[in-house]
Amino acid sequence: MAQATTTARPSRPSSRKRNLWLTGAAALFLWAAMTVDVDLADLKSLPTGLALIVDKMFLEGGPDWSYLDKAVPAMVASLEMAWIGTIIGATLSLPLGFLGAKNVASGWVSNLMRQVLNGIRAFPELILAVAIFIPIAGLGPVAGALAIGLHSAGTLGKLTAEAIEGIDPGPMEAARAAGGRGLQVQRWGVLPQVLPELIGFWLYRFEINIRAGAVLGVVGAGGIGFLLDQTMRYHFYAKAGMCILVVIVATIVVDTLSGGVRRRIIEGSDSKQVPEVDLQAVSATAD
Amino acid sequence: MIKFQNASVTYAGGVHALKNLTLEIPDGEMIVIVGLSGAGKSTLIRAVNGLVPLTDGDLVVDGVSVRGASTKQLRELRSHIGMIFQTFNLVNRTTVLNNVLMGRLHKTSTWRSLMGWYKPTDVEIAMQALERVDIVEKAYVRASNLSGGQQQRVGIARALAQEPSILLADEPVASLDPPTSHVVMRDLQRINRELGITTIVNLHFLDLAKVYGERIVGLRAGELVYDGTGEQADEHVFRDIYGRSLTADDVMGAPEPVPVTVSA
Amino acid sequence: MTSATQATHRPAKPPRSLTIYAGLAVFVVITLLSVSEEWGIGLDIPALIADIGRGEFVLRQLLNPNWEFLPHVIEPFIETFKIAVIAAFIGCLVALPIVFFASRTTAPNRIALNTTRGILSVVRAIPDLLYALIFVAAVGIGPLPGIMALIFFNIGVVAKLLSETVDGVDKGPIEAVDAGGSSRTQMVRWAVIPQVLPSYVAFSLYAFELNVRASTVLGWVGAGGIGMLLRTQYSFQKWSNVSVIIICLFVVVLLIETVSIRWRRRLV
Repeated sequence: MAQATTTARPSRPSSRKRNLWLTGAAALFLWAAMTVDVDLADLKSLPTGLALIVDKMFLEGGPDWSYLDKAVPAMVASLEMAWIGTIIGATLSLPLGFLGAKNVASGWVSNLMRQVLNGIRAFPELILAVAIFIPIAGLGPVAGALAIGLHSAGTLGKLTAEAIEGIDPGPMEAARAAGGRGLQVQRWGVLPQVLPELIGFWLYRFEINIRAGAVLGVVGAGGIGFLLDQTMRYHFYAKAGMCILVVIVATIVVDTLSGGVRRRIIEGSDSKQVPEVDLQAVSATAD
Repeated sequence: MIKFQNASVTYAGGVHALKNLTLEIPDGEMIVIVGLSGAGKSTLIRAVNGLVPLTDGDLVVDGVSVRGASTKQLRELRSHIGMIFQTFNLVNRTTVLNNVLMGRLHKTSTWRSLMGWYKPTDVEIAMQALERVDIVEKAYVRASNLSGGQQQRVGIARALAQEPSILLADEPVASLDPPTSHVVMRDLQRINRELGITTIVNLHFLDLAKVYGERIVGLRAGELVYDGTGEQADEHVFRDIYGRSLTADDVMGAPEPVPVTVSA
Repeated sequence: MTSATQATHRPAKPPRSLTIYAGLAVFVVITLLSVSEEWGIGLDIPALIADIGRGEFVLRQLLNPNWEFLPHVIEPFIETFKIAVIAAFIGCLVALPIVFFASRTTAPNRIALNTTRGILSVVRAIPDLLYALIFVAAVGIGPLPGIMALIFFNIGVVAKLLSETVDGVDKGPIEAVDAGGSSRTQMVRWAVIPQVLPSYVAFSLYAFELNVRASTVLGWVGAGGIGMLLRTQYSFQKWSNVSVIIICLFVVVLLIETVSIRWRRRLV
């Protein structure tokens, strides 16, 4: 190089901190893998065992198409559980979310509400069904729908509160300046700003709830999960295969429909968010 | 040597971005392309390294016909053509050095590049490239922590790390303020003179073009309307290139700063 | 106001678009069908409220946890934690290469893209508990089916989130790498991965967090962890013991979520 270098080259910064994290994570994994109660023999039998089951479910023995008569209505019940659960969750989440937003409710109310929402979210649907709703509503899809509803209220409430905290304060101020009262300000200054986003959250939650609705039957809360549990337990693999097929097809169909509606709503609104980013924000905090 | 022969580019929407262009650029020349936005400047530059394929005519770069080139030949060709972008196109989340080393990828085997084990000679080349644009002290800083002018110098270093024979600069100063623009343009000029790298620069501001363009090529609606020296290009010529009278937006308006004497 | 007398017509109120009405109609019909006794699940809210006392016996016991049961809970919770760790690690590692076939930005061609996306949507359509059922049938009860179930679950979650992130990366560096004559693999490694790495780590933490929640229930079908204990105590109607399990679960989930969210915030 002709040019004289006046500036000294910097030395390579230490990557010790990063290496420490990586080592820590690897150590955690190794500890878990070495001490977990898994037999090597079981691990070895996994491929053959799985191949055998898949064969009995879908290839050699199944699926048992005659079982479609029972599987489809059961799946419909699962979808209905998810639908009603989502409606219950969305309805409850609106007041909870507004009260949990720092720019709407006063400090202690929003803090308290956030804690309540976190508390609700911590219980999986299955636990809510077993411990609360089956004892109250008895075995069946009503208990499942209620369990899904309460859990969804927790997750949707948190997302609603976060969406409200992210709004442009201008319209709210304008509504207040024009003499609007509390609820009026919320209705015209806040709700129009967040509604498209909220509907997106609801639909997204519905998609998640379909999966919950499909398995809650395992504890007796109705839907196709009950058939899955029974057929698997008594080794009717061809019938189980049929149920699994129904679950997969129904879930993909409803996912696609719901995803299409969601995209249209988000694109149609003047919400600033790009769909992809939006989805990410939802799912990164959804459950 | 870059040779356009009746080269045309028509985009899928039917837009004629380049029309029947014939142009010869000898080795080691610094040439500035001027024209309104949409006149085909970017298309011309991207045709040289095959990022935009010709739809008609021919283009020969260093003896290789770009139009008929296979993916592999195209990659080979691109490996010795450096490119500088208006928006810098750096990976913001990684270090300056890693960005510059991207210029060495074509010389690095896939597995080495996957692990990030660049050869010491490649790291040396990257460091020298950073030294050439005077920003080596930022080698281990994240690209996002640099100012616009610094980021563009990293962009130039990345192109230099390819040890190119041709340098393409697509509106390299459009995102920069006037004083920084002069710094970057002078860097390009110095590199052209010291290393003899053929340099093609797209510019919008005609005062910059006059100062730095030994040779100016004017494009209007995809057609070549001027080809001459910077001195010859007067207001008349520019009015013809732009197809309208000139406005304040067409000049950067900042005088060239007093040249700093670079120690030889 | 003089301007009011001017000739410009006031615009008529624009009719609401038909799709909104159609959408509302669909919504109402589906909802009515779903709650009906005959076609749906038979949701009868007044009856539910009238019968709310049915749960009183259980709830009373749940509110009276048997703390002597606490020592029995610890071991299964550690197992749950291990299951979550192992599955998150393997699942996230396996998901990474898949992601680049599932994103428009990086997939080598349309066929690879659509095939990968198709497989992923099937993977995501199967709920975690169903995976657990299948794997329990394949290898018997224990933590192994739980780990396997969550691996698949994690692949679904991480591949979807990360491929959307890859779709949205800044295309500039990709053009720059292309202009330098590099291969596709090198482009992914140096122009894409540095951009999405923080998101990848954040999603992996999120997947781990989901695993902790999920693995508390996988045991219900025999896939190891605290869920197995929950099921036995439930079948013996030992509600005070169930209560202890639920309280611990609540604490563990909140604890892990708090830590995970804090780390994720620092990343993105």
